[in-house]
Amino acid sequence: MSVLDSTSTILASGVRLTVPLAFAACGEYLAERAGAMNISVEAMMLSAAFTSVATASATGSATVGLMAGVLTGLVVGFVHGNLSHRAQINTFVVGLVLNALVLGLTSYLITTEQFASHQVGVLSIPLLEDIPLIGKPLFSERWPAYLLILLVPLTWWLVERSRWGLELRAVGENPQAADVTGIKVNARRRQALLWCGALAGLGGAYLAVGEVGSFNQNMTAGRGYLVIAAVIFGAWRLGRTMLGCLVFGLSDAMRLALPALGVTLNAQLLVAAPYLLALLAMLLFTTQHREPAALGRPFERGST
Amino acid sequence: MTPTTSAVPILELRGITKSYGSVKACAGVDLKVDAGEIHGLLGENGAGKSSLMKVLLGLVRRDAGTVLVRGEEVALDSPQEAAELGIGMVHQHFSLINGLTVWENVALGDNGKVNKQAIRTDIAEVSARYGLPIDPDARVGTLSAGERQRVEVVKCLRRNPQILILDEPTSVLTQAESEELFAVLGRVVQEEGRAVILISHKLAEIAQATDRVTVLRRGRIAFRAVTAETTPQLLARQMVGREVSLGEEAAALGLVPTGERRKGGGGGPEGQPPVLRLAGLTVEQGGVRLLADVDLTVGPGEIVALYGVEGNGQATLGDVLAGLIPPTAGTVEVTGNRVDVTRPGALSKAGLGIVPEDRHHSGVVLDMSVAENLTMKSLDKVSGRFLLRRRAMLAEARRLAGEFNIVTPSLDAPVRSLSGGNQQRVVLARELSGHTLVLVAAQPTHGLDVGAIEDMYARLRAAAAEGVGVLLISTEFEEVMALATRIAVISSGRITGALPVSEATPERLGMLVGGEAA
Amino acid sequence: MSAASLSDPDDLGRRLLARLRPGRRDWMTAGLTLALIGVAGGVSALLLTLTGASPSASLAAIWTGSLANTTGWTTTLLNTAPLLLVAVGACVCASAGTFNIGQEGQVLIGGLAGAWVGLRLAMPGPMLVAVVLVAAAVGGAAWAALSALMLRFRGVNVPVSTLLMTFLAIQLVTFAVSTPWVLQESVQGAGDIADAQSNALPAHAQLAGFGHYPSLQLNTGLFLALVATVAVALLLSRSRWGFKVRMVGLNPRTAQHAGVRVAALGGLTLALSGAFAGLAGGLLLTSPVSTNRLQAGLSDNVGWDGLLVALVARNRPMAAIPVSFVFAVLRAGGDFLSATGVPSYLVDIVKALLVLAFVAPPVLVDLFHGRRGATPRAAPAVSVVPAKTEAAA
Repeated sequence: MSVLDSTSTILASGVRLTVPLAFAACGEYLAERAGAMNISVEAMMLSAAFTSVATASATGSATVGLMAGVLTGLVVGFVHGNLSHRAQINTFVVGLVLNALVLGLTSYLITTEQFASHQVGVLSIPLLEDIPLIGKPLFSERWPAYLLILLVPLTWWLVERSRWGLELRAVGENPQAADVTGIKVNARRRQALLWCGALAGLGGAYLAVGEVGSFNQNMTAGRGYLVIAAVIFGAWRLGRTMLGCLVFGLSDAMRLALPALGVTLNAQLLVAAPYLLALLAMLLFTTQHREPAALGRPFERGST
Repeated sequence: MTPTTSAVPILELRGITKSYGSVKACAGVDLKVDAGEIHGLLGENGAGKSSLMKVLLGLVRRDAGTVLVRGEEVALDSPQEAAELGIGMVHQHFSLINGLTVWENVALGDNGKVNKQAIRTDIAEVSARYGLPIDPDARVGTLSAGERQRVEVVKCLRRNPQILILDEPTSVLTQAESEELFAVLGRVVQEEGRAVILISHKLAEIAQATDRVTVLRRGRIAFRAVTAETTPQLLARQMVGREVSLGEEAAALGLVPTGERRKGGGGGPEGQPPVLRLAGLTVEQGGVRLLADVDLTVGPGEIVALYGVEGNGQATLGDVLAGLIPPTAGTVEVTGNRVDVTRPGALSKAGLGIVPEDRHHSGVVLDMSVAENLTMKSLDKVSGRFLLRRRAMLAEARRLAGEFNIVTPSLDAPVRSLSGGNQQRVVLARELSGHTLVLVAAQPTHGLDVGAIEDMYARLRAAAAEGVGVLLISTEFEEVMALATRIAVISSGRITGALPVSEATPERLGMLVGGEAA
Repeated sequence: MSAASLSDPDDLGRRLLARLRPGRRDWMTAGLTLALIGVAGGVSALLLTLTGASPSASLAAIWTGSLANTTGWTTTLLNTAPLLLVAVGACVCASAGTFNIGQEGQVLIGGLAGAWVGLRLAMPGPMLVAVVLVAAAVGGAAWAALSALMLRFRGVNVPVSTLLMTFLAIQLVTFAVSTPWVLQESVQGAGDIADAQSNALPAHAQLAGFGHYPSLQLNTGLFLALVATVAVALLLSRSRWGFKVRMVGLNPRTAQHAGVRVAALGGLTLALSGAFAGLAGGLLLTSPVSTNRLQAGLSDNVGWDGLLVALVARNRPMAAIPVSFVFAVLRAGGDFLSATGVPSYLVDIVKALLVLAFVAPPVLVDLFHGRRGATPRAAPAVSVVPAKTEAAA
């Protein structure tokens, strides 16, 4: 019984830790399929976490805070998109700068401002939540978590089935050819970054006004990089990317839960596990890697 | 065959001007195309054909001039607008996406929902109507060059364009495939009343396939005529802007030389041992055989051509001989000594020089200076053990630049700033410097203007005359006929036959190119 | 075709390095840079005002902490050295077209290796310092070399692997300093709790200053970094080896054809870049800028900042000298700033904006010229341009 309970607890905590990653990974996945390698997911998540808490504190509504978070991620995506896919500044530099800027800005503001705590509500699904072992972890979550059920298939459909997604993939594989075919390459990449920003924003906001209820300095603590690792782990496929997020979330949950259970397993190993797994995935399955051929390559008409 | 001369041309360009910086690509170009005709657009590389077509496709914005489609002025600001107006193009390169399937590629550029079933039906219909079979579910990256061309044509025809532009369509096609294509185009024009613009730098093709012809020279209209009323001589003169001899320079213009056939240039293969011998050369990549069992010998002073349609393994062979990819099996021998091609620089040490197919890809370093590019293979000459000797480098570069007539603002200028012809001369000079015994010239005249092509021919002949064995890898029939003493034909990565030039006819080579033994 | 290799001119690293080559230097670029620096200052001032702090007082604090007096100069120069070393290493491998972004981890591993040797080896005086620094460089090089091996044998992109390895390095160091039998500090009293840090290096394993000036300390580390910078700059521009490195960076296929062992050279530059980062870690450990103990926070973003320095300097070693100095000024000033009650995070904001101010203008100017018709660098492939002079005629 107690084994079942603690397993369920770890699962629940793992799912909770997975959700923000999964939101952001959906966004990053779509952006990378369009060839836009953005390191700035970290900035999107962190800024969204901050504004969601600030807005929730100002309006008294965690839901409004959540929406503000999405909007903030969108803004970061917009800025990144215009700096690298309009003004053509090196996308990696832009990512690093945005990460540093957002980290500095939020750290600065959190020490100068005070915010009241707000949190979105838990939505439990009757009956399903009573299923042993997986009931609580899966069917008793803060309500925005259920948006994943909508957003993951939607992202898949957008990429694989919609005209927009077909064009995104074309842009990610061969921007020159896409251009000749009449696709506005940089516009598509900017749009992909908006989607990425919105979803990463949702992930960051969920972390803040969903799980934690407040903002701490550098609260995302590298989760943006973890999201990039998840996409790599998933070999640029959505399903495997989501699986990666779950694995990362669970290993994080184990790290938190094991000491309480009296099990001594190396904490650093568990923190490092996601990165180690991503590396191993790349080392073992090289041939299966379907990295978009033009990932990270800037596009300018006339240059090849 | 006579074009239906309706009062209003289907397409009319007036005074189109387009500049790139200080370079005028098009200067006041006027062009009229009628429904029901195949209109040839002839010009040297760099004459402004591509720029003109990019304007027409809405890919670049014109600086001045008006475009009228069926008598109505149009803006043409975007490729979408061009597509809506019924202007479609079959591109030479860069328009299909390898990572996507055929049907996805065909669907690109449409609007609205992606309806896989409808697109596949369309593809089947177009394929059947024009006799262009393709598998809609194949990934484009796995198709041959000829198949890709077919996908391009189907993709274009499916949009039902009224004006169809073809950019150098035959460079990747065999003789038989080319004939098929022109048969399709004939139907498109005559039975369906559309217009075709055929872009080419090959005189023979223009003369054979078009109803009317417009010649562009340095961004301006040089000449226009009904094709049947012109002669190749006249077109050649208009294209180059001076009197040309169809005997000597014909190949540079895409014509078979009319002069008498030469039998064997310098020394023949008999008697002397070959300077280059390829034996059983095989390259496999991802389960695909790019080169299969290639045997080939080149004697000293001999020019041997490896002729074939683009995309049949020539690029792979070039990469092997440049030391860029290791062969899966087989050997390369230079003057009888086996060379370990996997060792960097081994081939050039053995005396093999190569003018690669794509000079930007592996011939020059665009952002390094002319002097650095000229001496990068002979660093021992221009440096000590640790430090470069700038003086020695410049002296050596000056010598080579003089010998090969390289026109450059300075030896310190980046190669990027040179014209295509001069970049090619830099490569040639470097590869012939030192003790070169074999020169591999892969598509050495691609993208060059006629003057530079003639210069390249002269230099290849001169090298052979000095005893260098030359392997000329070329897709241009006229070029191999003009230069080679022996012609080997490559098809799908294997040598399908070899003939002395005196026995070579278009028919026999055509059969070999198609993969049949002749 | 699928597996990336160092000779692949289109691998992720090269794609990400695009548009980082030295751009044009003209008045327009300079003007735009100045304007953007102004904007960066304005934005920061606005932020300070909005949060109730005084921009002028903050600027004064940064000035006081970094350049106003010899103490400030001491701190600034101590901060310059590791940043410069990291940046120079980044320049070396970027010149070969390899994009190392894992300097933060390589710095830490350098610190780890240095601390291990410094605390375990009993050796007299200055020799120990040298050994610690060498160990640090070797450690960083080995860590980076792992990424080179992953590329060579499994085709894993360098930017991706170096990034992931950074996070592994952080955990490895955390593990080392929180595990008693590895490097965690020893405790004296029975009631004391050991922190997650190593013991302090013995005094004779610390870097000495050189020369004696009233209250200004010049550390040997700075001297080391400057010598390394000049050496690398000369090596790249004048030596036969540097010629090959540049060739590999600009066109690996041509380089391979010309007889350069591209993969080996690329791997070597990556390891070299790791060595420089590791050396920076050793410097952090042995110079007075830190507590001379190994901690997970030892690197304190020096790796990331050093990478930014190289990016701003557009991979030119000599240009990295002034840029790293500016970054060091902000670091030193930031420490002082927090003492006045304004969060030192302000300087992170300023730093990010400054990077943008330096990186954006050349691209924007190029773009401006491009929009007006001139293709910036890709000259038309056709020979319409008449050449001006006949060379060597």
